[in-house]
Amino acid sequence: MKLSLKDPVVITVIVAILTLVGNFVGYKIDPITAFPGMLILFLIVIVGMWITKIMPGNLPAVVYVSLLGIILTMPWFPLGEKVAELTSQVNFLALTTPILGYAGISLGKDLDSFKKNGLRIVVVAIFVFVGTYLGSAVIAHTVLKLTGQI
Amino acid sequence: MSDEKRYLKLHLIVLALVVIAELIGTKSYKLGPGTIVLLPMLYALLLGLLTGPKFLKIIDKEDMNAAEGLITVSVMLLMAKYGTNIGPTLPLIIKSGPALILQEFGNLGTVLLGMPFALLLGLRREAIGATFSIAREPNLAIISDMYGLDSPEGRGVMGVYVAGTVFGSIFFGLFAGFAATALPLHPYALAMASGVGSASMMSAAVGALVEIFPNMAEEITALGAASNLATGADGVYMSIFMALPMCEWLYRKLIRDRAEEVIKG
Repeated sequence: MKLSLKDPVVITVIVAILTLVGNFVGYKIDPITAFPGMLILFLIVIVGMWITKIMPGNLPAVVYVSLLGIILTMPWFPLGEKVAELTSQVNFLALTTPILGYAGISLGKDLDSFKKNGLRIVVVAIFVFVGTYLGSAVIAHTVLKLTGQI
Repeated sequence: MSDEKRYLKLHLIVLALVVIAELIGTKSYKLGPGTIVLLPMLYALLLGLLTGPKFLKIIDKEDMNAAEGLITVSVMLLMAKYGTNIGPTLPLIIKSGPALILQEFGNLGTVLLGMPFALLLGLRREAIGATFSIAREPNLAIISDMYGLDSPEGRGVMGVYVAGTVFGSIFFGLFAGFAATALPLHPYALAMASGVGSASMMSAAVGALVEIFPNMAEEITALGAASNLATGADGVYMSIFMALPMCEWLYRKLIRDRAEEVIKG
């Protein structure tokens, strides 16, 4: 089988390499130190994508991939602490930069529609932010009151 | 250009974007009660946009379509990392009281308040991506996975994501201060509400609350952080199993009501 640059496994390897570069440039963690953690994240993704394929229910791969990450780092999991320590060498923000790079490139074709929706989206964002804050605050206040804590 | 060459070109461009963005690094500016935080990912997004046919003309329309397909796969590593952030904090999340757990459902307020306004403003399917969450990275991943980022839903979540990245923390800083002084809600409740699922937004909101209630500083900070962890843990599942179905339902209902009104005249 010829490996294509379009294969999800190959793309994941490339993104992992890009992240290790960003992790070094931006957060001064050298790629050798970060490698074991990145390898663990890579394996979580590969196994997660495989589980997605064999499981019924059509759940998105993000569910299984994040669930695997949680299970492997839970304090009740024998190697949990070690896995958490190794993966902490890969900075969270370093992982977001390449994604937004690809997103930025593809965003160009939506620029006109974003321009059309730009101001409206900003107004919607404000309502979304107020909605989550007030929703949570009102529920928390009510439950605290009902349970006699305030 | 062959497909293989096209992908190679895209990866090399993103490599350059990553290096430039990380070299600039995170910058934060104090503004009033909040802070404006500019992160490397934002530069990568804007620089990526600049490579397009409207600006530097390094990439063409077909390159953009190819890049779109790469996003869905590239978010997987981030989701794995996200899981490894949540795992170690599970005991704290379990220990935190009923209020902390129940207020998580308040995050659905994005749908209840956002969706009607989004439709009033004339958004259509974009409203679903824009209002099902506060559009942080995991939410981008969900929409990318379920609808694709080049769909109307994708444009909606991207729009709120960019808006939140640029002025989210300053907004939460200002709004938490306003809510604390103007609304009859207990500071503990406001502290829990601050955990919206973004560390910078939570810090800004908690910072403003501590400023107003200095004698409760410790409790407010602890509750805000715990709630933020809880949102980090349940946010993905809440989005997929509750917020998105709610969005779809409310969207159909509101659009139908409106159509009936128009018909009745």
